[in-house]
Amino acid sequence: MQIASIHERPTKRVAMPRIRSGLSLPKPLGKFLTYATLWVAFVWSVFPFYWMIATSIRGKDEIFQRPPNLVPHAITFQNYIDLLVGAQFWRFALNSLILTISVTIISVLISVTAGYAMARHRFKGSVMLPLFMLYGQMFPPVLLLIPFYVQLRYLGWLDSLYGLIPVYLSYMLPLCVWLMRGFFSQVPFSLEDAARMDGCTRWQAFWKVILPMARPGIVAVATWVMIHTWNEFLYASTFILSEKKRTLPLGLSGLIGQYTTDWGVLMAGGVITAAPILIVFFFLQRHLVSGVGGGAVKG
Amino acid sequence: MMKRTSPRQELKKTWSSMFETGRGARIYPYLMVLPAVLVVVGVVVYPLVYGILSAFYDVTLRTLGSGKMNFVGLRNFERVFADPVFLQASWNTLVWVVLNVVAQLGLGLALALLLHRAIPGIGFFRSGILVPWVVPSVVAVLTWRWMYDPSVGIANELLLRLGIIDDYHPWLGDTATSLYAVTIESIWKGTPFVMLLLLAALQLVPRSILEAASMDGASGWRKLWHVILPQIRVSFAIAAVLTFILTVNNFNAIWLMTEGGPLNSSEILFTLAYKYGFKRFDLGMASAVATMLFVGLVIATTIYLKLIQAREGD
Repeated sequence: MQIASIHERPTKRVAMPRIRSGLSLPKPLGKFLTYATLWVAFVWSVFPFYWMIATSIRGKDEIFQRPPNLVPHAITFQNYIDLLVGAQFWRFALNSLILTISVTIISVLISVTAGYAMARHRFKGSVMLPLFMLYGQMFPPVLLLIPFYVQLRYLGWLDSLYGLIPVYLSYMLPLCVWLMRGFFSQVPFSLEDAARMDGCTRWQAFWKVILPMARPGIVAVATWVMIHTWNEFLYASTFILSEKKRTLPLGLSGLIGQYTTDWGVLMAGGVITAAPILIVFFFLQRHLVSGVGGGAVKG
Repeated sequence: MMKRTSPRQELKKTWSSMFETGRGARIYPYLMVLPAVLVVVGVVVYPLVYGILSAFYDVTLRTLGSGKMNFVGLRNFERVFADPVFLQASWNTLVWVVLNVVAQLGLGLALALLLHRAIPGIGFFRSGILVPWVVPSVVAVLTWRWMYDPSVGIANELLLRLGIIDDYHPWLGDTATSLYAVTIESIWKGTPFVMLLLLAALQLVPRSILEAASMDGASGWRKLWHVILPQIRVSFAIAAVLTFILTVNNFNAIWLMTEGGPLNSSEILFTLAYKYGFKRFDLGMASAVATMLFVGLVIATTIYLKLIQAREGD
């Protein structure tokens, strides 16, 4: 009997309040339409991703076969081997990794302190500064591109990874500060006051009481920066000139040939470039979704 | 017995007590925001001013090399307006922005309403529908470029099997379709983010309001129009402005699929400015176009901030 109970399907269903927000149709028809629409949206969203993977595991002759097969006939990992055997790809990945880690650490450090101070303290400019930060986010990159080019050229930082760090900060930091202020303003500061009454210094109260509570927000901001740095293309493609300093997105676009393109290898590279982002995303899905929804909208 | 403290702890104590009272306590918030302000001034404000100013100077590789740039007034703008491609790029930008914003908001709202239900399997659909948002932009664009391939692309094959086209078509290589083909990729990529914003807003609508509306016998569409939309109107407007900004600044999709071609048929102002700047190396002309884009975006941003403030006041 013990065994049977283990194998019983869990029947516990949490009763969820049902809210229907769209059309009210007769129940079975409505249900069918809902699921049919959901499936269409699902296939539409996932198909290109599927196609990338499906292309990356085909042999060369199958890739260029007409008409193309929806499902690969023979699976091969030759494209991945071709990609990973060359030293180039590793170089690109390393460049991306170095850049991503540096930009993330710098932005998080700066935005945590600034966001905290803006949320916690009233001082001259504590109202205007966050708005100033938000405006900073809205500038079209194309307008900043030219001054950056001139400046980097002047400093001799063109075609270098460290030259990209200030450029990336310009496009990440303002929003990071804005989001961080939003997260910190949700922390109950009475707890900090209580800790201070108990004899904590400002620093201890911040480090031991406030920071742990703001952790989801910090994780969200850090992830946001990581993803955007990892994916960035425009600035990198403008300021990086030599092949060995390319980042992954740049390396991928470089695989497009003038006359022919090896799409199998390119799609394999796409899968590998997307993989870390997908992994991070599916681990942190809840944080990110609430971070974007809550932070961007509520401020 | 006295507790012995090391010099290091002593220093730490002095350091932290410096900010406990008096002048230290007053300046320390400023110290905390200082790094952020310095960085933003250095990498946003200064380049911005420089960028706008260079629209009025003759900035080319030659003048940059010699360091002698002359003030040329509105000459750069005149040269931009005299370029027939500018007119085409402006029109394309309009088409590109309108199609993207309308489609992403419409589809995003529909998906948000659809996914805002407690029905079995909804988590699965939600994760799947978020995939375009998660895939790196360059990877997504290159995948679409491959799907649009004129001789062996899967898009052609699927459309052919569905009976929509009679023969394979070079979607990105035809001046009549290139802009629309790129737009479809951009809608695919951008819609999930709109959906997320609106879903977050829907989740804040109090259940009691919806239930009350149902009890009063409001039908689906009327409930949507009179109850749900007014509740999320601010988020909807914010999503609209954000989509607008992201679309104007979407460089990757166009650049990596068509580079604005063929024959400028998919050229938008962003890619045109980029070509002025980094193909012709006429940075003055590029800055002139960029400045015009900037003015448009500032107007949008102002609306955005007004909306946020209106919402905080609610």
